[in-house]
Amino acid sequence: MVEKSGGLKEWIIPFAFVLCAGWAIWHAPAYILDLWPHDDTTSLTVQISEIHKRKDVTPNLPGLFGVADIVDWAALVLLPFIFYLGAKTIVPAQMEFEHYSRIDKIAMFIGRIVMILIISMTSVMLYEVFVRYALEKPTLWANELTLWIGGFVFMLSGVYAMQQRSHIRIFILYDVMPRWMQHVCDIIWLVLLWFFAACLVFGSYKQVFINKFYKWQTFGTAFDPPIPATIQPTILIVICLIAIQALLNLIADWNKDPSELIEKDLIDEEELEAIKKSVGAN
Amino acid sequence: MDVGTISIILIVGLVLMLAIGMPLGFASAVLAALVMIMKFEPTLLTDPMSFGEGMLTGRPGTGPLYILTQKVYDLMTEYVLLSVPLFIFMAALLERSGVAKQMYDSLNFWMSRMRGGIAVVTSLMAVLMAAMSGIIGGEVVLLGLIALPQMLRLGYNQNLAIGTICASGSLGTMIPPSIVLIIFGLITETSIKALFTGAFVPGFMLATFIIIYIIIRTRLDPSQAPLPEPAEDDLPGGEKLRAFLAFLSILVAGFATLLLARLAFLTVTGRNEPGAENFEPPALGMVADAPYIGGVVVVCLLLMFLVFGWKYTKLGWHHGKGLVPPFAVIFIVLGSIYGGITGITEAAGMGALAVFLIALFRGEASVDLVWISLMRTLRSTGTIIWVTVGAAALAGAYTLAGGPTYIAGLIVGAEMPTMMVILIMMVILLFMGAFMDWVGIVLLIIPVFLPIVQRLPIEEIGLIGQLEPRQVAIWFGVLFCMNMQVSFLSPPFGPAAFYLKSVAPPHISLTDIFRGFLPFIGIQLLALSVLLIWPSIVTLLL
Repeated sequence: MVEKSGGLKEWIIPFAFVLCAGWAIWHAPAYILDLWPHDDTTSLTVQISEIHKRKDVTPNLPGLFGVADIVDWAALVLLPFIFYLGAKTIVPAQMEFEHYSRIDKIAMFIGRIVMILIISMTSVMLYEVFVRYALEKPTLWANELTLWIGGFVFMLSGVYAMQQRSHIRIFILYDVMPRWMQHVCDIIWLVLLWFFAACLVFGSYKQVFINKFYKWQTFGTAFDPPIPATIQPTILIVICLIAIQALLNLIADWNKDPSELIEKDLIDEEELEAIKKSVGAN
Repeated sequence: MDVGTISIILIVGLVLMLAIGMPLGFASAVLAALVMIMKFEPTLLTDPMSFGEGMLTGRPGTGPLYILTQKVYDLMTEYVLLSVPLFIFMAALLERSGVAKQMYDSLNFWMSRMRGGIAVVTSLMAVLMAAMSGIIGGEVVLLGLIALPQMLRLGYNQNLAIGTICASGSLGTMIPPSIVLIIFGLITETSIKALFTGAFVPGFMLATFIIIYIIIRTRLDPSQAPLPEPAEDDLPGGEKLRAFLAFLSILVAGFATLLLARLAFLTVTGRNEPGAENFEPPALGMVADAPYIGGVVVVCLLLMFLVFGWKYTKLGWHHGKGLVPPFAVIFIVLGSIYGGITGITEAAGMGALAVFLIALFRGEASVDLVWISLMRTLRSTGTIIWVTVGAAALAGAYTLAGGPTYIAGLIVGAEMPTMMVILIMMVILLFMGAFMDWVGIVLLIIPVFLPIVQRLPIEEIGLIGQLEPRQVAIWFGVLFCMNMQVSFLSPPFGPAAFYLKSVAPPHISLTDIFRGFLPFIGIQLLALSVLLIWPSIVTLLL
């Protein structure tokens, strides 16, 4: 029997990943303090230790080899394993691009993570609406948490869209070109994309990784999530992932017939079936 | 490098990159980087060896290029943008539940004896769905599956059937909430709520035009819309009206009861007691309002039992209950936005929850439903947002180079009549709309067009009525939205045609579909010219 997308496994593994990643990101100051100690002439060590003390979910656990405690390390070590497990056991849905290699599964698993993030974001937002208007006890954290998760949703969905070849393109001229010319065009735009990624990384790595991430810049509110410290590095990482994925796509599609690559129709078969079922048509 | 040269290189570069099939979002991102280089270190282009000396490359890891990252970051942390995935999620859930089919059956029962009834029902249903969610696509598909087979079976004129479905199905982005207006508001920093309010009248005007056209066309030539055989449970006209009025009484009574419940809740929690400093009495939520609301309930009950009779009330409810879920969702979404309860983002979330609860209530909800809807959301979000990302970077870079001001100066300096400038813009938008997705247009063209419009002499805009300066952006947003209505239908790439093609019987070709659109495109252009001639129509509700 063919396994269907959306089974229990496909819910649990990305969810576990989100939990672990959430824990690890929240306690990232601890890793920074341990793995990449600041120059002691600055007061950064003190500042970030303060942030860490304020934010630590398990303040009473003693640190293991330094500031980070055993749970922090466990979360960090588990992340790649869960990711590997998730990518390995992915079950593509019918609406997804039918050709994929083993390495494409990375992008597909990122897509699964985003799906879990979308539902988490929606739940957090609805919880906030409920407590604010029904109980009149607004939280300080829900809105910012939604915003924070949303940032990851927007960024990461780009990697998935690249793997699925679903970014908006205009095919008027491209479709009538002979295959070799399409190859040339593909190479040109790939180079341009890499050029942009290079510009972005070259132009902001110091700002992003030192000023935002290393100094752990937070949002400056009561809940104070590290939105600048996490979203800005994600922008650079994601644009690089997209560039790499574009290269992988080019290699994978090199010998394919163009008709296989034309984006599936605006609406896909599976979705059509679902809609047909809902209106009772046969 | 001067801004004129930059602008020309920008346009040529964009056309070239799009022609070779580069994804739109990344093409504009590359151009953003190019504009930064031309603005801050043009020597790099003529002499690449000078790398590392100029303003841009002198300090690796920081400098002007960081502005691009900053622009993308600003967009990523824009709270209103979160409503985009949420509206898509809601629409995906909606498409997969049986709500639409039941709504169609209900509407159809009430209007089955009317000439052209199914076409009118199709339009009405499209309006209701448009008021629930803000995207098109699923709507056209749903209508194509539900209404097209029935119209063809009855012997409706094929062009009329096709045109009705696609033109009404496209209303999704014209009637609030609308994803087009959300992105427009974000890009131009216009109040999205005001845009929604402004779009109401023009949106309903367009819907009315479509319905009037259907009625006139079928009256002039009844053979285009044969009447169906009366169904077994059909009622004669008078009795139907009686049942319908009874059904309306149920709705009003139900709504008033809900209001009473809310009032009771407010009273119990003490929230409608004046006392606090900036106390605002909740509308219809004071204890003094209770007798009036209670009175409405009693009158409705009397009407139901004594005037219309229990039998008709039951009949009315039986045939009308399919309309209750859509109205509930519309009430929740628009009520959240306008009732001051929540913002647009939360309203979209509430809408998704409401649709999910309705599906649950109807026994259609399942883990699979959620999974597939999430995946649909993921796919559409990735596609839409990444065009936005590239365009945000480009708009930031181009503004920094002084582009919009330059172009606005150019146009205003040309001393063309104001309405001529606007007409040219409309032609450009219509032309672009035929080839490009609306997301691309709103992100690439609007940041250039809007500053021009805002610098035109305001008293010369339109022929009737007068806009206030702060309303120009709202008017232009609604105008743009109306333009995009045309673009959904215009050949060769009108998306509505492709959506319908995927569910139409095989003998209907794309050419047939586009032929059916022609009169409806005429109607849309008529609505567009009303907006141009009488701009203050958007301010009626503001």
